[in-house]
Amino acid sequence: MALAANRARTCLVVDDSRVVRKVARRILEGNGFAVREAADGSEALTSCRASLPDCVLLDWNMPVMNGIEFLKALRQEFGPSPPVVFCTTETEMSFVEQAIACGAQEFIMKPFDDEILLGKFGQVGLL
Amino acid sequence: MDDLLADFLTETNESLAELDLALVRLERTPDDAPTLSLIFRLVHTIKGTCGFLGLPRLEHVAHAAENVLVKVRDGVLAVTPDGISTVLFGIDRIKEIVAGLAVSGSEPAGDDTTLVAALNALAEGRAAPAAPPTPAAPPAPVPVPPPVPAQAAAPIAAAPEPAAEPADAAPAEAPVAGQTIRVGVDVLEDLMTLVSELVLTRNQLLQLARNQEDSGFSVPLQRLSHITSDLQEGVMKTRMQPIGNAWNKLPRLVRDLARELDKRIELVQHGAETELDRQVLELIKDPLTHMVRNSADHGLETPAERRAAGKPETGRITLNAFHEGGHIIIEVADDGRGLPVDRIRAKVLTRGLATEAELAGMTDAQVHRFIFRAGFSTAAVVTAVSGRGVGMDVVKTNIERIGGTIDLKSAAGQGTTFLVKIPLTLAIVSALIVQAGRERFAIPQISVVELVRAAGIGGAAAADRTESRIERINGTPVLRLRDRLLPLVSLAGLLRLEQDTGAQEASQCIVVTQVGASMLGIIVDRVFDTEEIVVKPVAPILRHITMFSGNTILGDGSVIMILDPNGIARANGIAGSESRVAETAPPTTVAQSEQRIAMLLFRAGGSSPKAVPLSLVARLEDIERDRIEISAGQPVVQYRGRLMPLVPLSGTLDTAKERQAVLVFNDVDQRLGRDRCMGLVVDEILDVVEDRLKVELSGDRPGLLGTAVVAGRATDVIDTAYWLTQATQDWFRAGQKSGGARAPQLLVVEDSDFFRNLLVPALSAEGYEVTACDSAGRALRLREAGVTFDAVVSDIEMPEMDGLQFVRTLRAGGAWAGLPVIALSGRVSAAEMAAGRGAGFTDYVGKFDRAALLASLRQCLGEAVHAS
Repeated sequence: MALAANRARTCLVVDDSRVVRKVARRILEGNGFAVREAADGSEALTSCRASLPDCVLLDWNMPVMNGIEFLKALRQEFGPSPPVVFCTTETEMSFVEQAIACGAQEFIMKPFDDEILLGKFGQVGLL
Repeated sequence: MDDLLADFLTETNESLAELDLALVRLERTPDDAPTLSLIFRLVHTIKGTCGFLGLPRLEHVAHAAENVLVKVRDGVLAVTPDGISTVLFGIDRIKEIVAGLAVSGSEPAGDDTTLVAALNALAEGRAAPAAPPTPAAPPAPVPVPPPVPAQAAAPIAAAPEPAAEPADAAPAEAPVAGQTIRVGVDVLEDLMTLVSELVLTRNQLLQLARNQEDSGFSVPLQRLSHITSDLQEGVMKTRMQPIGNAWNKLPRLVRDLARELDKRIELVQHGAETELDRQVLELIKDPLTHMVRNSADHGLETPAERRAAGKPETGRITLNAFHEGGHIIIEVADDGRGLPVDRIRAKVLTRGLATEAELAGMTDAQVHRFIFRAGFSTAAVVTAVSGRGVGMDVVKTNIERIGGTIDLKSAAGQGTTFLVKIPLTLAIVSALIVQAGRERFAIPQISVVELVRAAGIGGAAAADRTESRIERINGTPVLRLRDRLLPLVSLAGLLRLEQDTGAQEASQCIVVTQVGASMLGIIVDRVFDTEEIVVKPVAPILRHITMFSGNTILGDGSVIMILDPNGIARANGIAGSESRVAETAPPTTVAQSEQRIAMLLFRAGGSSPKAVPLSLVARLEDIERDRIEISAGQPVVQYRGRLMPLVPLSGTLDTAKERQAVLVFNDVDQRLGRDRCMGLVVDEILDVVEDRLKVELSGDRPGLLGTAVVAGRATDVIDTAYWLTQATQDWFRAGQKSGGARAPQLLVVEDSDFFRNLLVPALSAEGYEVTACDSAGRALRLREAGVTFDAVVSDIEMPEMDGLQFVRTLRAGGAWAGLPVIALSGRVSAAEMAAGRGAGFTDYVGKFDRAALLASLRQCLGEAVHAS
């Protein structure tokens, strides 16, 4: 297990649904991540400015500032570093393409479980 | 229940409430892009989340609804009322499923195929079915998809349960924005209870400290007291919620009603941010919903009706909330047709809630309030909307249960407004502490209107000094307070308390309280201070005594009862009858009824107004001072070609006045065979009112029949016959002297003291010898005794034997069988007169038509003379 190595990593979970945030938190904390939460893009940006996380799990459809807008602002302000996993229910690939074009590393479909989420995180080299 | 599910339920319910509002808004402004994207996001979030919990039904419906919304967002589909309705049905279904989920923890069984088909049809641009899809409640005939896909359930099962919780509850690194936390309601309730106890203990400590001078405790005690107050306020604040929370469901409700009833309704909300205790908020939700429902259903007209009435087609329901004192006032107003007074009257009669006579004496406002009575609904057809067995009586009961009051104002064609006044909180209330006998009681400040010190019934000397004094009407104590008569109840008397001997003073303290829409004065022995009291429920053994709404513990540790003025009014039987006495009847014409007569109100010396039946007055004149002459020591005026004697009612003519108000009485002098008239000089003519006349005879002052309550005020009713005699005594004497023949003998049968006293002097003044009986039975006994008369004048409406029966008995045989018998009646209609003549009456005249009575008597007696 790579648990010890991952101990210090933080993940910022950005989703307007408390339920989704909780599910993600359980999975990630169970695998050694420290989890921070934000309910929309604007909160997420504030959180990043306070302290940059090691990775971001990002929803698309949120009030105030949506996922794409956040992604653009994040990349503009902090460059290519923290890796972002884009999360959506949309089956249309156009959203995913847009997210990737804006600097997301991977995408994941809701609903996800630990296997899927950890698999994606592994793909972007977080595990 | 899994806390993830609990989170889901809270979150989804919030979204659903928001959705209702947003969809109604979208319908009004179809191209409101922010609203559309809000709706889309909310549905999207619901769909996105239920996948995590394995809720296939929800996901299915939400997905179908989302498809429609995607099309609308992309501009492929236009916003139509039918489309919105179909989406709302989808939202309703989601609510149903979520409700079932909350109860059982799993999705209820059900069939959504019709609904989903309708949504899909809509999304594909096919005509959506107009009718709502069948409700999903019955058990599914179609196999339900397997409830929980293993894949979706996995993360929950795999999650480490309690270990993660502390971090979750207080995320230290949470962003600053929106610092709110969720706290269970029971925690807040417990806090409130503890604070209540703390307040009590504080009060007790303060009481103890008061008796000990300069103890070292006083300074820290002061601090404790302040902190307790602050704490109390703080805890109260945690329980406060904006009233808008109770209004959230209303736009959707109104929208659905408007469609159902084919009306156009706009809902306007003012003061949605006004805060009140969440417990109170919960309790007024249903009453408010019902009132809005009522306004939409009964209050507002259809667009066609509104057009015809010259109003805008869209009716308006306005909700308004604001703070006033320690209370919150909520108004529910519509600009509709107003309450149908006639239909309410008819319903009151058929339900036997009041008699016709009682109704006749009521103002429209009083009639309106019958809608608060049990089992009352005026809708001609019980509609699906309002006819649900819940009436305004339930609304009233619920509001009164939380110490509130409800009243209404309604104007025909202009609309109806319900006014609800409720306390901000139920737990700690401000109350007035009073004493009756040796006991102390608390009266909630919400129902206290004012405190009055009044002169007692015996305290005549004090009566002159104070503005208010206690009087008795029909044996009931009343307080004459400004322009109103206020019914009183003695608390000590009502509760049969031992009277403190020291309390029997000349003056008494009266707590004027609001009972529903009317007022009640409670006589107490002493009034102490207002205190914040903690309301404790009444013990079950005392709960049936509605005079008490609870009890509390005072600072000195004594337990006292909290009075409920509503209950006191009921216990005293006042609630129904009070307002009739206290309210001013507007001068409106109602259907003729012998109980109500038009009265002319005027002032002539003294403070109380005087009255005379309007039908006795021939004319009202305003005569210049210069026209008044003195003839043989009597003031006269040239009036219509002859001299009219003037009689000042107050005794002397005020010669300083430029003009004199004069009531002209016209009469026919039988013996001189010509009209005579007389002018009664008064100070000022006040008003003409219609009211029932119930005269309390006094007879101690000449020229006054007695005192009656007219338009809510104690009023002297003058005896016109007396004044007529005063003015024309020379003629009267002349008539007596010249009348060598025996005066005609008249028998007057009349059960009303008032009319007897009106008739007898008037007829005597005409030279008749009058005998009066108060019942037909007595009259018949006179016949048996062999007394003879020349004519009989009889009332029709009398108890036991009425006028018709009486005249039939006379005509059936006996000494009086051939006598002329004249009927006197308040109802003069062709049918009534035919019935009267059929029964044997010689003539039939109206009660106030003295000229007709005299003419009729002259004619009858003349004929009788001829016949003999």
